[in-house]
Amino acid sequence: MATIGEEEHDWEHENRTNWRGLGLADPIKRVEDKWLLLPAFLKIKGLVKQHIDSFNYFVDVDIKNIVRANNKVTSDVDPRFWLKYTDIHVGFPDRTDLDAIDKSITPHECRLRDITYSAPILVTIQYTRGKNVVRRPNVNIGRLPIMLRSNKCVLTGRNEAQLARMTECPLDPGGYFVVKGTEKVILVQEQLSKNRIIVETDSVKGIVQASCTSSTHGGLKSKTYVATKKGKIYLRHNCIHEDVPIVIALKALGIQSDKEILLLTAGNTEAYKIAFSANLEESAKSGVFTRHQALEWIGSRVKVNRKVVGPRRPVWEEALEALATIILAHVPVIGLDFRSKAIFVATMTRRVLMAMDDEKMVDDRDYVGNKRLELAGQLLGLLFEDLFKTFNTNLKSAIDKVLKKPSRTNEFDAFNTMQFQGDHITAGFVRAISTGNWSLKRFKMERAGVTHVLSRLSFISALGMMTRISSQFEKTRKVSGPRALQPSQWGMLCPSDTPEGEACGLVKNLALMTHITTDVEEGPIIRLALMLGVEDISLATGSEIYGPHTFVVNVNGTIIGLTRYPMRFVTNFRRLRRAGRFSEFVGIYVNHHHHAVHIASDGGRICRPMIIVENGRPRVTSEHIAQLKQGAASFDDFLRNGLVEYLDVNEENDSYIALYESDIVATTTHLEIEPFTILGAVAGLIPYPHHNQSPRNTYQCAMGKQAIGAIGYNQLNRIDTLLYLSVYPQQPMVKTKTIELIGYDRLPAGQNATVAVMSYSGYDIEDALIQNKASLDRGYGRCQVLRKNATLIRKYPNGTFDRLADAPLDENGQTQKKYDIVQLDGLAGVGERVDPGDVYVNKQMPTNANDNTFSGQAAAVPYKNAPMSYKSPVAGYIDKVMISDTENDQTLIKVLIRQTRRPELGDKFSSRHGQKGVCGLIVNQEDMPFNDQGINPDTIMNPHGFPSRMTVGKMIELLAGKAGVLSGKLQYGTAFGGSKVEDMSRILIEHGFNYAGKDMLTSGITGEALEAYVYFGPIYYQVCRFAAVGPRATLTRQPTEGRSREGGLRLGEMERDCLIGYGATQLLLERLMISSDKFEVNACQECGLMGYNGWCTYCKSSKKMAKLTIPYAAKLLFQELMAMNVVPRLILDDA
Amino acid sequence: MNQPGQQTAHAGSGSFIPAPRQDMEYICADCGAKNEIKSREPIRCRECGHRIMYKKRTKRMVQFEAR
Repeated sequence: MATIGEEEHDWEHENRTNWRGLGLADPIKRVEDKWLLLPAFLKIKGLVKQHIDSFNYFVDVDIKNIVRANNKVTSDVDPRFWLKYTDIHVGFPDRTDLDAIDKSITPHECRLRDITYSAPILVTIQYTRGKNVVRRPNVNIGRLPIMLRSNKCVLTGRNEAQLARMTECPLDPGGYFVVKGTEKVILVQEQLSKNRIIVETDSVKGIVQASCTSSTHGGLKSKTYVATKKGKIYLRHNCIHEDVPIVIALKALGIQSDKEILLLTAGNTEAYKIAFSANLEESAKSGVFTRHQALEWIGSRVKVNRKVVGPRRPVWEEALEALATIILAHVPVIGLDFRSKAIFVATMTRRVLMAMDDEKMVDDRDYVGNKRLELAGQLLGLLFEDLFKTFNTNLKSAIDKVLKKPSRTNEFDAFNTMQFQGDHITAGFVRAISTGNWSLKRFKMERAGVTHVLSRLSFISALGMMTRISSQFEKTRKVSGPRALQPSQWGMLCPSDTPEGEACGLVKNLALMTHITTDVEEGPIIRLALMLGVEDISLATGSEIYGPHTFVVNVNGTIIGLTRYPMRFVTNFRRLRRAGRFSEFVGIYVNHHHHAVHIASDGGRICRPMIIVENGRPRVTSEHIAQLKQGAASFDDFLRNGLVEYLDVNEENDSYIALYESDIVATTTHLEIEPFTILGAVAGLIPYPHHNQSPRNTYQCAMGKQAIGAIGYNQLNRIDTLLYLSVYPQQPMVKTKTIELIGYDRLPAGQNATVAVMSYSGYDIEDALIQNKASLDRGYGRCQVLRKNATLIRKYPNGTFDRLADAPLDENGQTQKKYDIVQLDGLAGVGERVDPGDVYVNKQMPTNANDNTFSGQAAAVPYKNAPMSYKSPVAGYIDKVMISDTENDQTLIKVLIRQTRRPELGDKFSSRHGQKGVCGLIVNQEDMPFNDQGINPDTIMNPHGFPSRMTVGKMIELLAGKAGVLSGKLQYGTAFGGSKVEDMSRILIEHGFNYAGKDMLTSGITGEALEAYVYFGPIYYQVCRFAAVGPRATLTRQPTEGRSREGGLRLGEMERDCLIGYGATQLLLERLMISSDKFEVNACQECGLMGYNGWCTYCKSSKKMAKLTIPYAAKLLFQELMAMNVVPRLILDDA
Repeated sequence: MNQPGQQTAHAGSGSFIPAPRQDMEYICADCGAKNEIKSREPIRCRECGHRIMYKKRTKRMVQFEAR
């Protein structure tokens, strides 16, 4: 009773201020603007931090490890000789020409000059010269292409002005390479995680198997299985011919007694014991009782692929070696102590037993926590190791060759030999990155298509490429699992951004806040775990390991010990991590099903930051955010002070995360920084995506990448093969926070078109749009196409050279029309118009360029014309003529030709909601409807586009855009937030408009008021890149056949019959000839054969020639028949 | 109507070296200095040593069609 009285007492004084001026019933103060952590995060990490971090790790850490593992070169000839690498580092990018004053080079110069943006790899060597040991620092062994914006790049840490000085765009994310002038990206690859046990069942075959792919730092991979076969369990590995009964395997690993085997696998669980007993029986039947017998059994079945050197080893030794080094190679065996490997095999067996007993105890391959992402750094690491090893073997054989000589004039210096090693490493890197073929025989690696050319169609397409993840799964397989949206993708991978069609769900994109870990040394982590009270696994037996309250502690998949207080251990571990005592990227989580604690420090895990919640309060408070706003604190400070932390997928699954602050309960451990970060950079452009039907957002993600707009601040200094630029790009009226963060408002790709949602004429069916002609005249949807045309002015090995000649004169002393723009230097004048067929580089080549026997006067050689002439049917203008030298001193000429395009019928437009449409009709402004203020729409969209698509986001965008236009402000359509419809309606009313966004329009044709109100306002429209014509066979000029060659679909005889039967013969004529395969021939009415230019070669006359149009295919048929001695004659008649 | 300069080299005639081009000037991409380029010599700015040159805009009138 007394307690109730006290409570009542409290309630009576609920409004009394007792703590920091707050009463009991006052609402808890929310952390305002906690989303500001996101820009702070991006400021530190950048948009493509995963690529850059991975490359930095390779250059700073991994490359040193690789060299340390291969640091000695000895000689077979002279045993006293040795050469050691004591250090390695990568310098800054520089130019290779010797006489340069300023050695530094910018990426943009590399792009323009078609050279590689690379830095020297410098080693410190120590070696014997005669009787002395010599040390030489900074010996160049090759060049490494440098990732842009990595810590070796000249662009890092520069401000906008400095970047502008280097003609580089400050919004460019970096993360790619410039190799031979082209920008190359190494895409992120998704793989199943290494060194972890994965248990699977095959319900059809009744098989349960636990598999583990071991991968050690040597790069060698092997897969070990523990699988059931007819109810018994076997160990399977490629290096053993036959499946090894599990008991024999465990005996060979040093667990001799059956009791111990039973305890380590089945423990005290009766069901497991029964299931396992058959295995013990089998081993007894095959007469294997001791460890030696087991080793003999395995040894006689091991594949020996070594060349026999010296005496043959006994069989059991072969088994011992295989078990120690090949099977489960990632579990260390130190001094033949097999205990930890035995326990690992026993654990795999137990997992199989558990899955046999309860089929739910299997792992999910598609769970994101079971995946690892491979990045540029790892691939370059493998490549470097391979190249470096080859370099060392070459060096060794070169040294041997010199040392073999009996007498030398001067003392042998290995440094000189090293200088003559050529550019094996440099060429290896350049070849691998520019072709994308990673074929490393040493590591049994054969991968093609690792690198891609960075797509620069728009800023978004370049950005989207940097966040793309490709999967190793085969595309043709008909399984849905890997393609499906996984709940564990939440916050890590974008749920919207995936292509349609065959790669759907296999190609993914990273969400905005994800980070991919790099390797963290596991030695100190193990020591720390042992210090926190974990008992060493080698001291434990089965009954302890599987005791009711014991938890096994794993570090990177290997069992290291036991703990009886898992929660306390995990809490302490996390506390140390939050205190910054070790890397923030080490993850820890408890798996209650397996009674295990897992610590992960390996690279390639996906993780993201989250606000820590303690005692029901987020650790980040308004004061912290205020500091952030002032710039007094950065994201790293938040991390260091234990306010936020990174969670990987597994740890995320072990946490209780509140989406909003109001959702926090007593058990909550974390708070999301901002919900819209579950989307990626490309999906972040969509306003109000949470109001759209999900596939519409996916369509927009594909289309946003082909929108024409600005590419970078340096877009006019670039000379790309093909560049599309919008003439008047605008930032969207309705933006999102993501748009501001990635800089889309500064490099937009689209325009705010005033849209009337109504029907107009009949040319707007099937999503076609009506465009206002005056808007197009004013520059709506106008774009420029810039095309690069490059050529080399070569010098040939025989002393001859190409040359540029000025325009030749015809017999009247006049320049021909096609040479009109060529100036004295043989190059077209900048700014001149180029008509089809015009010559713009008048290059001439020597006729004997490849004749290496030639030894005359190079200048007196006869030349032939090799001009570059303009091919496009539309005239263009010379935008730029660049002259430079390549790396091997050939003159390089690049001519940039510009065309201006205005929208025409059939051009593709799309809003940001996956609503694409083609231009169906261009209408004069006076025929467009107008409202009472005289405003015309730029575009008319048919309302039938809405009901089935359910893109409510587009309607809200119109409303918010209209409110923004009227109030002179930009509105926000951020996902799961953004400007409210109610507020927008209020603004509309304040400005005298209808709250629902509808206007009364007057027809421009009749002058009558339209019968209905029309939904009218601005929507951000993108102009999409024009679809290219597909490939055609050269001989027949028909589209190619087959899907692999991007072929067309055949309209065959029977399909033709259908059309004739329907009565649509004119359609056949139009589609099959007039608009696709038209060819004009001259035919003779006399002989019926084809001639040319109004001349019949058969009749030797031009009297009865007639011009007619036939399909090219028909013309080809006639000629082929003639080649077969059949004469087809055309008999002409007046049609 | 244009370019009074001598026409020197013709395709196929090839028996003499093109005479030094007199007035072709190029602009350095880095410092904007005017440079001349001699055939078969490395392209390098006299002022700053930069390796990229751009051709100057034509002196002829260019007419655009406004559409």
